[in-house]
Amino acid sequence: MAGLLSYLLRRILFAIPVFITVSIITFLATNASGNPVELVLLGIHNRTPETLAALNAEFHMGEPIYTRYFLWLSDFMHGNLGQSLYSGTVASKILPWTATTLELQIPALLLSFGIGVPLGVFSAKRQYSKSDVAVTTTAIFGISMPTFWLGIMAIIIFSLNLHWLPSFGAISAFPPYWWGSIPSDALAHLILPLSVLTLVSLATYVRLIRANMLDALRQDYVLGARASGLSDFNVTYKHALKNAITPVVTIVGLSFGSLLAGAPALETTFSWPGLGYEFVVAATSLDLPVVQAITMIITIMVLVANIGLDLVYALLDPRVRIS
Amino acid sequence: MVRAVDGVNFTVEKGVPLGLVGESGSGKTVTALSALRVVPRPGKFAGGKIIFDGEDLLTKKESEMRKYRGRRIGYVSQDPNSSLDPLFTVGTQLSEVVQAHEKVPKERASERVLELLQRVRISEPEARMRAYPHELSGGMRQRIAIARALAGEPDLLIADEPTTNLDVTIQAQVLDLLKDLQRELGMTLILITHDMGIVAEMTQKVVVLYAGRVAEVASTRETFATPKHPYTSALLKAVPRVDRKKELVPIGGNIPNLITPPSGCRFHPRCRFMQEICVAKEPALDAIGGGRQVSCHRWKEITLEGTSS
Repeated sequence: MAGLLSYLLRRILFAIPVFITVSIITFLATNASGNPVELVLLGIHNRTPETLAALNAEFHMGEPIYTRYFLWLSDFMHGNLGQSLYSGTVASKILPWTATTLELQIPALLLSFGIGVPLGVFSAKRQYSKSDVAVTTTAIFGISMPTFWLGIMAIIIFSLNLHWLPSFGAISAFPPYWWGSIPSDALAHLILPLSVLTLVSLATYVRLIRANMLDALRQDYVLGARASGLSDFNVTYKHALKNAITPVVTIVGLSFGSLLAGAPALETTFSWPGLGYEFVVAATSLDLPVVQAITMIITIMVLVANIGLDLVYALLDPRVRIS
Repeated sequence: MVRAVDGVNFTVEKGVPLGLVGESGSGKTVTALSALRVVPRPGKFAGGKIIFDGEDLLTKKESEMRKYRGRRIGYVSQDPNSSLDPLFTVGTQLSEVVQAHEKVPKERASERVLELLQRVRISEPEARMRAYPHELSGGMRQRIAIARALAGEPDLLIADEPTTNLDVTIQAQVLDLLKDLQRELGMTLILITHDMGIVAEMTQKVVVLYAGRVAEVASTRETFATPKHPYTSALLKAVPRVDRKKELVPIGGNIPNLITPPSGCRFHPRCRFMQEICVAKEPALDAIGGGRQVSCHRWKEITLEGTSS
């Protein structure tokens, strides 16, 4: 247990320089894309020296760039994400965006993992059978088609032609609600983007699990376990699957980090007001504080997800702990 | 379809340790895995019979077959580095096999595991039970693989090159262990190997396989003293001996590709006694008296060098 703790501590220490590096790059890149004071002044018609002075003070324009960086970082660490160049504080906007993204991404992750793993095992057990070919073909289709194309196809078929489901947004802004109530309305909006997202990530899991299972089933320990009289079920689901699933944990961890980033393409296709969509909007309108905040939050989430992942990996695979 | 083993026919007598000999790819392992019906996909049985204790295993249902695996026939695989699941402790892996053979509570199963570990002479068995395979040496892992094969107290133990990946001193220990276990438990051993030295030490009967077919069957002593098949003789000449100053003679060429096996006798491209008939006609496995069998057109005409074991 002490080994596991120091392992975890090492992982956390490794994350700090990554965080600092990303913050420097983010700060420099956003500042290089424009002077925030001038960007704000574009939107102000009656410019007084007072507003100019206030703006310069807000963005610490009198200070050299490295001082500004530290001031910005310190604000960030204190939870002060600053003001959007357009309206409101960044913090008040990011929270609902994050929630909307997670509302889509977490069910997608659970569904694609929950369906993908058994499907991959099923496929591997029946390698080259008709059902295996059907599963793998669908998986290749899911991986190969761009997300936005699948999204557009889904909209054309199920919204435009069949009128079964809404085509954009997370809720209806005003009645009539889909299927009568507000919760059912949210559900109706969720179905299309969730299905597309699930199909895409499902395909990844199916292919990975299938390949890893095929590999695991060929190992000597599987042969040894079967030859010593263990049931096929036990050998497949206890021994082979645990070995096959361990590397997939990496992928889950990585996609957990990118959950927060949302899928910008997918969110944009469905105008889903999540972090990914709003990041695209903020970047195109040069809303620099928003871009900075979203980038940093995604960075933190990726780092946290990676540490969590290392921990799960060490728990699953005893060989990892020694290094 | 590739026939990895074809027309392999031999008998194992109770209590007579048998060596299954041949180069890599000659079908030794497939023969052994067939007896347990655990040939990996896409392998399958095109035909034949595997009679164990009067019953044909190939006609058994999968559920019946499980009563044979481990309980009647034990199997120790080649590579101790991969024969145990890296993600479970030794204790877990052994006790699940114990529990697969007899319905016993957990505590009783761990007692059995402890007995098994002591039986294969593992030092500090309690500590080893909690260890993961990667924390143990190759020799120790092989002993644990043997313990797993013994868990169901099988009548027949198939050891598939049990010492290939071990260093020489550990090899000797593992072989000694296998010898003692046969005596203590009254098991019959099938030893798969390409090492004629191990064959001489461990077995009383030898089946020589070549390219998925039986080349020769004889008692170990006769195999070494008067080999009848040119391949057996060639194998013997390729064994290094410390006590004799003699050139090693390698067998020229490679084992044939079984997708397109050679016509006639499969050994003919590498045989120095090859004649037209060897290319044209496949030799039958003839009984030549004294319980010996040989599959060679010319065994009567040629004299082959043996070696005193």
